[in-house]
Amino acid sequence: MNASDVPIVVDVRNLTKTFGKFRAVDDVSFSVYEGEIIGLVGPNGAGKSTIVHMLSGLITPSVGTFSLFGKSLDTEREQILQRLNFTSPYVAFPARLTVRENLAVYARIYNVRDSRAKIAELLDRFDIKKVENKPISRLSSGETARVGLCKAFLNDPELLLLDEPTVYLDPLIALEVRDVLLDLKRSRGTTILYTSHNMAEVQRMCDRVVFLSHGRVIATGSPIEVTRAVLSERRDEPALEEVFIHIARRQRDATL
Amino acid sequence: MRLYRIEAVVLRHVYELRHNGNHLINMVYFPVVNIIMWGFLTIYLTDRQGLQSGLISSLLGGVVLWGLFYGFQRDMGQGFLEEVWTRNLISLFSSPLSVAEYIYALVCVNLIKALIGLVLESVIALLCYHFNIFPSLIEFVPFIAVLMFFGFSIGVVITSLIVRYGSKLEGLAWSFAGVLMPFSCVFYPLSTLPAFLHPLALALPTTHSFEGMRQVLAGGGFSMVDFQWGVTQDIAYVALAILLFRRMFESARSQGLLIKMD
Repeated sequence: MNASDVPIVVDVRNLTKTFGKFRAVDDVSFSVYEGEIIGLVGPNGAGKSTIVHMLSGLITPSVGTFSLFGKSLDTEREQILQRLNFTSPYVAFPARLTVRENLAVYARIYNVRDSRAKIAELLDRFDIKKVENKPISRLSSGETARVGLCKAFLNDPELLLLDEPTVYLDPLIALEVRDVLLDLKRSRGTTILYTSHNMAEVQRMCDRVVFLSHGRVIATGSPIEVTRAVLSERRDEPALEEVFIHIARRQRDATL
Repeated sequence: MRLYRIEAVVLRHVYELRHNGNHLINMVYFPVVNIIMWGFLTIYLTDRQGLQSGLISSLLGGVVLWGLFYGFQRDMGQGFLEEVWTRNLISLFSSPLSVAEYIYALVCVNLIKALIGLVLESVIALLCYHFNIFPSLIEFVPFIAVLMFFGFSIGVVITSLIVRYGSKLEGLAWSFAGVLMPFSCVFYPLSTLPAFLHPLALALPTTHSFEGMRQVLAGGGFSMVDFQWGVTQDIAYVALAILLFRRMFESARSQGLLIKMD
C-alpha cells in the first residue's frame, strides 16, 4: 500500500489561532495518516498544545479548518470525539473521587462495554492498581498522569491526542508508556499525535515530526529529514535534540 | 443526546456527595437549621404576639419554598464550580459529552438534592410546628415547578458568567438569590412593597409563586393568573439563560478559557 492509499485521520489546513494580538498558531497545515505516530514539537510557546486543544474541541480556530476522520468537528462532534481521546499532565480529575470512581465516570461517558474489566486491565497496564481506591488528591503527579493515560485508553481510541504524556513520569514508567503506545500502533493501528520536549523519545517513537516555532511550521518529515533540513547538513542519524536547540535559540534571539 | 452520558455526570456528582461533606451540609443541615429557627420564631409570634395561624403558615411556607429555590440555583452554580476547581472541564469537554447533556445531568442531580431538602423541611415543619404543607401539595406543585425553572435560569446565568469570567465570580452562586429575595415577596404580599417596586417584583416568577402559594394557604384556591405569569416568565428567562450560556461557552472556547479556567 502506498501513502496515498492510507486514509488521512487528521487533516489540518491553514490553521491559525490568535488570542488578542498574540498569534499562537500561524497558518499551520499538516496531515496525519492512519496508524502513524506523529510528534508535534518545538520550544515553549510554539503552539503545540494550542493545536492539540483545537483538535480536541476545547478551543475554536480563528482561521483555517481541520478534519478528523474526514469529518468536521463543528458538525459531527459527538461521533468524532467518541473515536478519539486526549490527555495531558495538566488535566486533573475530581480530587475527592477515587481513581476507580473517576475512571468509572469516564467509562460511562464513552459507553465502554464491560467497564469493570477494562478499568482493571488499564490499572494493571499502567501499574496503578495499588492506588485504585485512593482519592486523586492523594496521588503523586506521576500517578495522576497515569490515571490520565488510563482515561485516554478507556474507549480504545482510533486517534490519541497526547500532550506531553511522559513529562511527570519516572524513566521506567515513561519507557513502559512508550512501549504501550508502540504496541497500540502495531496491534491496532492506532494513530497518535503527541507533543513532547523529550527529543530522544520523539526520535524513537515518531514516524514523522512537525517542528513548530512561534506558531509556524519550521520543518516536517521523518526525524532524519527534519534533522537534515533544519541543520542544513548531511547527517546519517537523526539529531532532534540539536534541531530543537537550534530552533529554540533562533526563537529566543528573534524575541530579544 | 445520550442517556448514558447524562448518567455518567449524575454518577460523578453522586460520588462527590459520598466524599464531600459540604454537599450533605447544604442538602440537609441548612434546611433543617433554617426550619427549626423559623419554627421557633413562629411559636414566639403566635404565643406572645397573637399572630394568626394563616400568617404563620405563610411564613413557614415561604421558608420551605425559598429554601428549595435558593438551594437549587446555588447547587447548579456549585456543581459547575466543582469542575472548575478540579480542572475537570478539559476532560469533560474533550469527550463526546455535550453541553446540553451536562446541564441536564446537573438539573437531575440538583433537583433530587433540592427535593430531599424540601421533604426534610416539610416533615420537620409538620412534626414540630404543626404546619402541614402536604394537603396543599397538589396546588403547590405548579408553583414549585415555576420556582425550579427560575432557579434553573439563575443557575445557568451564574454558570455562564463563571464560564466566561472564571471562578472569581463564584460568590454569585451563594449570593445572587439574596438580591432577588426582597423583591420576590417571600414573606409578605406584593402590596407591602412600595408602588415603584411593583414592576420589578412582578417581573420575577418567584413573586408569582409566593403570591400563588399565599392564596392557596389563605383558602382562596389556585391562582391561575399567578401561575400563567410565572410560566410565561420562566419560558422567557430559561430561553435567555440558555442563549447567554451558549454565547459565553463559545466565547470561552474561542479565548481558550476552558483550558486556563481555575
